[in-house]
Amino acid sequence: MKRALFASVAVIATAWVSVPVSAEEMKAEVIHWWTSGGEAAAVKVFADQFTKAGGTWIDSAVAGAANARNAAISRTVAGNPPTAMQLNTGKQFDELVEGDLLADVDAVAAEGNWNGVMPAAFVAAATRNGKMFAVPINIHGQNWLWYNKSVLVSVGAAEPKTWDDAFAVLDKLKADGKVIPLAFSGQKVWERNLFSAVLIGVGGGPMWVGIMGKRDAALAQSAEFKAVALAYKKLKAYVDAGAPGRNWNDATNLVIQGKAGMQIMGDWAKGEFVAAGKVPEKDYGCTVLSNHGGGYMMGGDVFVFPKTKDASTTKAQVTLARLMLKPETQIQFSLKKGSIPVRSDVDASQLDACAQKGMQYVSNTAQQLPSADMLAPPALIGALEDAISQYWNTNMGADEFSAKVAGVLKAQY
Amino acid sequence: MTAVAQPLPAARRPKRMTPARWGLYAFIFITALYFLLPLYVMVVTSLKPMAEIRQGNLLALPIAPSIEAWVKAWTSACTGLTCQGIKIGFLNSLRILVPSVAISILVGSLTGYALSLWRVRGANILFGAMMVVAFIPYQLFIYPLVRVFSFTGLGQSLLTIVMIHTIFGLPTMTLLFRNYFASLPVELFKAARVDGAGFYQIYARIMMPMATPMIVVAVILQTTGIWNDFILGLVFAGRDNLPMTVQLNNIVNSTQGERAYNVDMAATLLTALLPLAVYFGSGRWFVRGIAAGAVKG
Amino acid sequence: MRLSLTSRFSAISALLPALLVMLVVYIGATSWTVWMSLTNSRMLPNNNFVGLRQYETLLGNDRWITSVHNIVIYGVLFVSFALLIGFLLAVAIDQRVRAEDTIRSIFLYPYSMSFVVTGLVWQWLLNPTLGIQHVLRSWGFENATFDWIVRPETAIYCLVIAGVWQASGLVMAIMLAGLRGVDEEIWKAARVDGLPKWRVYMSIIIPMMGASFATAAVLLSTGVVRLYDLSVSMTNGGPGIASEVPAKFVMDHLFERANIGLATAAATTMLITVIAVVAPYLYWRARKGEMR
Repeated sequence: MKRALFASVAVIATAWVSVPVSAEEMKAEVIHWWTSGGEAAAVKVFADQFTKAGGTWIDSAVAGAANARNAAISRTVAGNPPTAMQLNTGKQFDELVEGDLLADVDAVAAEGNWNGVMPAAFVAAATRNGKMFAVPINIHGQNWLWYNKSVLVSVGAAEPKTWDDAFAVLDKLKADGKVIPLAFSGQKVWERNLFSAVLIGVGGGPMWVGIMGKRDAALAQSAEFKAVALAYKKLKAYVDAGAPGRNWNDATNLVIQGKAGMQIMGDWAKGEFVAAGKVPEKDYGCTVLSNHGGGYMMGGDVFVFPKTKDASTTKAQVTLARLMLKPETQIQFSLKKGSIPVRSDVDASQLDACAQKGMQYVSNTAQQLPSADMLAPPALIGALEDAISQYWNTNMGADEFSAKVAGVLKAQY
Repeated sequence: MTAVAQPLPAARRPKRMTPARWGLYAFIFITALYFLLPLYVMVVTSLKPMAEIRQGNLLALPIAPSIEAWVKAWTSACTGLTCQGIKIGFLNSLRILVPSVAISILVGSLTGYALSLWRVRGANILFGAMMVVAFIPYQLFIYPLVRVFSFTGLGQSLLTIVMIHTIFGLPTMTLLFRNYFASLPVELFKAARVDGAGFYQIYARIMMPMATPMIVVAVILQTTGIWNDFILGLVFAGRDNLPMTVQLNNIVNSTQGERAYNVDMAATLLTALLPLAVYFGSGRWFVRGIAAGAVKG
Repeated sequence: MRLSLTSRFSAISALLPALLVMLVVYIGATSWTVWMSLTNSRMLPNNNFVGLRQYETLLGNDRWITSVHNIVIYGVLFVSFALLIGFLLAVAIDQRVRAEDTIRSIFLYPYSMSFVVTGLVWQWLLNPTLGIQHVLRSWGFENATFDWIVRPETAIYCLVIAGVWQASGLVMAIMLAGLRGVDEEIWKAARVDGLPKWRVYMSIIIPMMGASFATAAVLLSTGVVRLYDLSVSMTNGGPGIASEVPAKFVMDHLFERANIGLATAAATTMLITVIAVVAPYLYWRARKGEMR
């Protein structure tokens, strides 16, 4: 036993002496949660570019955003951080900046004129105390409507533009009775995503920002908000019994196979259509529903770089930040990921029809709406998610729901 | 120990099948179905091509069984950019498992021995506190432990994860061995003391050799627990030592594209193979070990 | 017994690792947890003292209330059914059945499966559009309905089904060990008196097996408080918040929701509850031990 103790002390002692990396070698260990087919192909674009630049990419993929963040943040706090880690564009790294754990990328940003080519909301979302601390790499539209063209044609319906149109189409599909009108995946995060789409489409952009960004509790108890709540709950009548617990991509596949008419989902759903060999605007359609002339909910991914004293790691970080925003990387990445480039100055002609639509939405500042992640901290979003999920799954009324939302907005998160 | 070798007391096996015996076997049969159903579904699904799975009868036998999914799960299923299946994780899991099981049993048995046979001041308090800890969700300790290990400079490594498993196994292991040693005749211990044997001598020469059935139970419990762990391995093992369950999670929980249920199930079964083998191989020992003293006290 | 100095030193040295773990890990981590619950920590811990505000938030949180409610339902049903089924299985196997080894292994194997796997398979079996209901309907039972997992009122019972499946085997092993320890003479005497077998079990054997039941119940209860993976992999707490449990509340708020303050308040509440239940039990056992 005593010997064992000595042995472990010896091991501890040797562990202190970490192996130094030679300065020429440029290694980047990157933690991300892109483990599925299209996602992995997209991250490979970065990896290949980095290898071309003379570096070695060490891939640390962990499935599940929470698991990946858990691993990355634990290691950063423990002083053994990865070279780069993925987060969602927004407030997720607020405290990492406050804790002085992240390196800023201001120099690279200035050199590449990111201010000039990125939507202002994304620049703001990456900036803390006047410095950029994250590299936004893409824009995901989160409130798209995807529909199966032949299913809609079979009931004589055209592409809906507003939520009122959409309800009319859903009614037709329901009356027809052959398919599930609305493909849905009953997990908390998608219940919230659907609610957000209705909030923007029925309530309008200002209400979205008022609730999520300004935490306007009075607005949550207004008649307009209750109308949103009612419209949301009305959707439940068009959903099938197998929805609870279903994965979002299984729901998308229902639309692809013509077993369901439409789905509200972010543009990552496009990867499913592409994988099934479907062609946009021919087999399937994409649009953003709005009763107010538009509102494109923009989210995305960023990479942040934990602070380091090691010169070669810093070099790797700068190289990564630079290459991620190169126009050609941006195009290649977007093609694989389903998102659109975060730069507005790239050649959009290589992108598919739906991505081009997305580029158009984003080019109009009036259409741009920041995602929930950009407006509110995770704790607040989580609390709202619980309320929304409860409302969707129980027979709670719109009044009680709006009181609950108001309560969440007033609480200190 | 000897109690188990005795003839079974409840009844002698009747020569003829009475209605009561029929009922008994019917009960066992139906319960066995409930227990076997999930395993059956997993095995059957892992042997079906995707086309058959899509047709959707979960219980149907495969029409064209194939082990392709198993091969893919083992050698080429992708997690992120690496497409080497779960085989790399298997070795990592073994490297974590063997020292963790050995050390946790060593520390646990030693603690149990000291607490049961030696009157150390405050022993009851220590033991009581451990019992309380056995109820606490260990997730709570993750964050503080990350800080502790970074403070000691160990960070994430094989040694860290072995220590972590030892720490979390301590309450159960101590409980098992304490109760077992307490159930042994005190005279044995007293005689050894009179002969002048010291603390560690009695432990190594008398107590541990007598504790074989308990060691078997401890090995079984720890093997399954450690092998099935996901979150501790993810956080503490470091990226070169990630256990098999982390890769299983990467394969099973990846979201894009059609879900390859057959590969998922094959990967799941492959991951469960070692604990399954331990249980099927040592079920008899398990009951014997528990009979030998885990229950008492 | 009086201990020599070296022996005492040895005994203490043997307890050193346990003591160290106790102090640094358990006591240290627990005090840290309690302190954090009094701050407004979010993603990273801070020391901004806010008093009991997190507890106020917690008690007003629907999801927490539901979680507590669920764990009580789950705990009672899971422990009773696992004990009942485990005991019945042990009695059945103890009747000198054929192929005892095989049967025992069948009942024991689920305990070797991780909760993640358990949850995955049962989620599948219970899903109305994929699992048992679908199969029954395809066999011609058009009206067969088994959709507990998608209904908020019944989802928690699905966790019980899977939990009992996993743990009954362990109970069976413990009970079987207990039954094998019963003295042959008791059975002989009962036969002479002409007592029916079920009466012997009810009025003699079960009361004798108190220790077995207690051990099994304690082991099962630790699993109840820690219930997390099963809820995540089977229902992810849904539909809605219908099958949320306390440990999952803690985990979700600790990491995904970056709300350490609220998470640790929930954890502290769990800890206090456990101590309140376990401490009297330990005290009672210690007293009993002294009297022995």
